[in-house]
Amino acid sequence: MSEGRYLRPQRLDEAVDALKGGGWNLVAGGTDHYPARVVEQRPEDILDLTGLTDLRGIGEFPDHFRIGALTRWTDLIEAPLPGWFDGLKQAAREVGGVQIQNRGTIAGNLCNASPAADGVPALLSLDASVELASAGGVRILPLADFILGNRKTARRPHELMTAILTPKPARPARARFLKLGARRYLVISIVMVAGLLEVEEGRVAGARLAVGSCSAGAQRLPALEAALTGQPADAGLAMLATPEHLAGLSPIDDIRADAGYRRDAALILVRRCLADLGGLR
Amino acid sequence: MTSHIKMDERVERDRLAEMVQAVIGKPLDRPEGALKVSGAAPYAMDRLPANACHGVLVRATVSNGTLRDMDVDAVQALPGIRAIIADDRLLRNPAQGMAGEAPIQGPKDIAYFGQPIALVVAETFEQARHGAQALKLRFEADGTAIVAPDDPKADIETPEDEQDSTGDLDAAMQTARHTVDAHYTTPGHVSAAMEPHASIAEWNGDRLTLYGSYQMLRFNRAELADALGIEEKQVRILAPYVGGGFGSKLGIGPEAVAAALAAKALGVPVAVAMSRQQVFESVMRRSETDQHIRLAADEQGRLIGIGHEALVSNLPGEEFSEPVTQATPFLYQGDHRVIGHRIARVHRTCAGSVRAPGEAVGLTALEIALDELAAASGIDPVKLRLINIPQKDPSQDIPFSSHMLAEALEEGAKRFDWDRRRSEPGAVRDGEWLIGMGMASAARVNMLIESKARVTLNANGTGTVETDMTDIGTGTYTVLSQIAGEMLGLPMDSVETLLGDTAYPPASGSGGSFGAASNGTAVLLACEEIRQQLCERLDCDMQGLTLKDGHAIVGNRRIALPEILDGSRLVGEGHVEPGKAEETVRQATYGSYFAEVAVNAITGETRLRRMLGVFAAGRILNPKTARSQCLGGMTFGIGMALTEELIHDPRDGHIVNRDFAEYHLPVNADVPQIDVVLLDERDAWANPLQAKGIGELGICGAAASIVNAIYNATGIRIRDLPATLDKIIDGLQSRTD
Repeated sequence: MSEGRYLRPQRLDEAVDALKGGGWNLVAGGTDHYPARVVEQRPEDILDLTGLTDLRGIGEFPDHFRIGALTRWTDLIEAPLPGWFDGLKQAAREVGGVQIQNRGTIAGNLCNASPAADGVPALLSLDASVELASAGGVRILPLADFILGNRKTARRPHELMTAILTPKPARPARARFLKLGARRYLVISIVMVAGLLEVEEGRVAGARLAVGSCSAGAQRLPALEAALTGQPADAGLAMLATPEHLAGLSPIDDIRADAGYRRDAALILVRRCLADLGGLR
Repeated sequence: MTSHIKMDERVERDRLAEMVQAVIGKPLDRPEGALKVSGAAPYAMDRLPANACHGVLVRATVSNGTLRDMDVDAVQALPGIRAIIADDRLLRNPAQGMAGEAPIQGPKDIAYFGQPIALVVAETFEQARHGAQALKLRFEADGTAIVAPDDPKADIETPEDEQDSTGDLDAAMQTARHTVDAHYTTPGHVSAAMEPHASIAEWNGDRLTLYGSYQMLRFNRAELADALGIEEKQVRILAPYVGGGFGSKLGIGPEAVAAALAAKALGVPVAVAMSRQQVFESVMRRSETDQHIRLAADEQGRLIGIGHEALVSNLPGEEFSEPVTQATPFLYQGDHRVIGHRIARVHRTCAGSVRAPGEAVGLTALEIALDELAAASGIDPVKLRLINIPQKDPSQDIPFSSHMLAEALEEGAKRFDWDRRRSEPGAVRDGEWLIGMGMASAARVNMLIESKARVTLNANGTGTVETDMTDIGTGTYTVLSQIAGEMLGLPMDSVETLLGDTAYPPASGSGGSFGAASNGTAVLLACEEIRQQLCERLDCDMQGLTLKDGHAIVGNRRIALPEILDGSRLVGEGHVEPGKAEETVRQATYGSYFAEVAVNAITGETRLRRMLGVFAAGRILNPKTARSQCLGGMTFGIGMALTEELIHDPRDGHIVNRDFAEYHLPVNADVPQIDVVLLDERDAWANPLQAKGIGELGICGAAASIVNAIYNATGIRIRDLPATLDKIIDGLQSRTD
C-alpha cells in the first residue's frame, strides 16, 4: 500500500509545475478535507497550498475586486469592502463556526462544490468568475460555468484556482444573503438565497438572485431577474416572485428536508430577500 | 471511625443549619474551574504515558449475524501495527448503570451495526486508525433482523411486573366530560458529552490501572474486573475529571475493556479513545418511545383517570428499558389508572440511561397531553395542574415527603406574566411571526444510593475529603468542599476534595441526580465523626462545640485547630445507606417550566424567545452549580422539543446522523435568556442534608412547555417530536387550505 506523496510548494510556479502530472488532492483550509477522512483515510497525494501566501488577500482594481484563493472567510468578514459585498459577508458568517471561518478558504468552498456550499449563491449574485492557473497559463471562467454539479467542477487535474474575481456593479447596488436550517446557526442549509439589486432612480436597473441547496449546484433565477428589472425598488418586489420563477430548481428529499418543503421555503426566502433589498433606503 | 446512617425515617435535626461557617448554600465558584478553562485539568487522554500504544476499535457493519473471519495478516504487515485484539472478553455494548457486572461479551455474535468487534493497536494513533480501516471483515449476516420497534414482526415483551391498573379507565373515559386520547412519539437521543469516551490501561504485574472517563467508579471497577475475569482488588480506576456524562458513562464501556486486554497482551500502556462517530454508534442511546396517553376529567377539569402506556426498545438480552411512566403514578390525581410498558427487541445500538431516563420523555408527553386537556376543557393550563395535585401518592397511598409543585406553578406564572397569555391559539402576531406561551410541570423521583467518604482534619488545620465520587461537570468538588467546610468550620480554601479514584472510599457515583445528596451525606457524617473526636479532646459535648474559621469555640475559649490537634490528625468516615424511608413516603422533586416562542407563519421556524424554570429540590447546596444544572437540563429540553433526533437507516438500523453536524443539538443562537428560580425547601425524609437531586429536574417536561407554546402560537399540536419546521409548516398549510 502506497503512503501517498505530500508537497507544500512556496511559490505558484512550483505548485503548477507539480500539478502537471495530475493526481493531486489540493488542501488549503482543510475544513472540508479532514471531516471527509474521519471515518476512512486512503493513501493519497496531497498538495498543501498553505505555503502560497501571496494568494491570500483581497485587492481592489478599477473594475473589479480580486479575492485571492487562500483568502479565508474571516479575512473577508473583516475586510473594508463596499456595501454590495454585504451578502457575501452574511454568507461568510454562516460558514460553520468562527473556527471554521478562521481556517476555511473561499476558493475551497467553491472547489469542494457541495450543493449546500454557503459561498456559492452570494458569489453567483455578484457575477463572480474564477481564475484557474496551470503550467500552460491562466484561464478565467464564470462561476456558473465552473460548478458543474454535486462535487463536480470544471477544474482540470493540472489546474489550481488562484483567485475569485467580482466585477464592480455599474450602478449603486445592495446585496443580501438568507439561510434556512434546522437550527439557528452551525447547520447545513436547507435553502439559501442570495440577491443583489442595482438601483437607479428608485427602480431596479439590474437584479441577480441565486438559490442554493435546492439543486446539485446553486442556480441563478434569470426569469425572475428579468421580471424585476424596471420595477420600483421597494418591499413590493417580494410579491413579484412566483413559483414559476423557481421551476428550474431540482430539490431532493434528504434527512434535512424534503423536496416539497425546500421548494416552498425557497420561494419564501426569495420573497424575504426581495422585501429586504427593496425596503433598503 | 465510621459514622453511619440508614435512612429509615425522617431526620429532624438539621445539622447544617446549626453550623456557622456560612459557606453552604452560597453561590461559590468551582475550585477547579481555573484548571478546566486553562486546559490544566487532566482528562483521561491527557494522562498519556510516553510509551503508550494506541488502539482503535473496529465496528461491525451488519446489524445481526456472525463475524466469520478477519484478514489479520494483511493488517499486521502494515507499519507500526502491534496487535489485533479480538478477544472473547470484548464487550458487545457498555454496561448499564449500576450493573456492577460485565454486560454481554464476545465479538463474534453481532447484534447491532456499529458493535465493536476488534481493537487494532499500533505505535501511533494514525497507524492504528489506518489498520482498523484496512481490516477486511467477513460477516454472515442475518438479513431478517428487526431494526425498528414499529416493525410488525418485532418481538414485543410485556413484562408483567411493569403493568399496573386500578379502577376502570375505559369506563371513566366513556363517562368523563373531557378526555384526551392520543399517541405521542419521541425519537432516540444521545447524551453527546463533550469529552468522547477514552481509556488508558496500564498493568503492573497482575494489577490494572485505568484512566477513564466514567461516572460511577465503584460499579465500573466491578464491571471491568468481571469483564476481564480478575478480582476487583486488582483494578484501580481514576477519573478525576470527566467532560460530561449525562448517563453515557455510567457503565464500563467497550474501549476500557479493549484497552485493558491490549495492554496486558503487549506489556505496555494502551490508550483507546473513541471518535465522535464511535460514541454515537457504540455507546448508549435513549430509546425512542411511542406513548399512548389517556386522560379523563370531569366538568371542572379534575382528573378521574390517567392511562400511560409506552413502547420502547432495546437490544435482545438487555435488562434496561426506558422507564417512561416513572412519574405518572404520583404526579396527578385520578382513581382510574393504567400503566403499560412494552419493550421491542430491535437490532439498534444499545438503549440505556440518558439524562433523566423516564421522566425526560415520559413527562414531556404527559405534559403535552395535559395541555390538550386544558385546551379541550377551556381551563387555564396552570390552574388545571393546580387542581389536580394529589394530597398523597395516589398509586401507593403513601404521603409525600415534601411537595412544592403548587408553589413552583404559582411562582412561575407570576414571574412569567402568564396572565398576559391569550388562551386562544394564533391570537398574537408580530409581523410574520406568531407568538405563543406554554408551560409544563416538572417532576423527578428522588433517590439515595449507598455512599462512603473519608474526611481528614490535618494537623495544620486544613481538611481533606476523599471519595471515589466523580465530578462530571456538575460541581461535586465544590459542594463536597462546602459541606466539609460548613461542618468543620473551615473557609473554602482550607478544604481540599479529592475525587475520582477507586483507592478512596466507594461512593454512589454520579447518576440519577443522587450524587450530591448521597455522597454529600457521607461527607457530612464523616465530619460529624471528626466533630465527635474534637469534643473528646476538648472535653465538651457536641452541642457545646462551635467550629468557625479554623477555630473551635467552646464556652468562652477560642482555640485554633492546629493547637487542638497538636501535630496529629483526625480521620472520620461516613457511610449512608437507603432505608425504609423510600417506601414510607413518596420522594420527588418538582418544578415548572414556562416558555414563549415565535413561530414563523410562513416557513414554520420556531424561535424560543424566553424560558423560565422554577424548581424545588430540598436544600440547595450551591445556587450557582444548581442553576447551571437547570440551565443545562432546560437546554436539553430545547433540543428535545425542536431539533434532536437519532435517525436510523430503515434497512439495517445504523445511525445515519452520527455527528454534531447532523444530530442537531441546540446551538447558542437557539438558546435565549433562560431564567432559573430555586425555591427554598427542606426535605427531612431525603437525608440529613435535607437536599434532593437537581441534576435532571431541568429536563423532565421542559420540552413540553415549548411544544405547548407552539400550540398556543399556531393552533398546531405537535405529538411527534422534535417539532421541526417541516412538521409545523404542514400544519400551517393545512389550516390555511
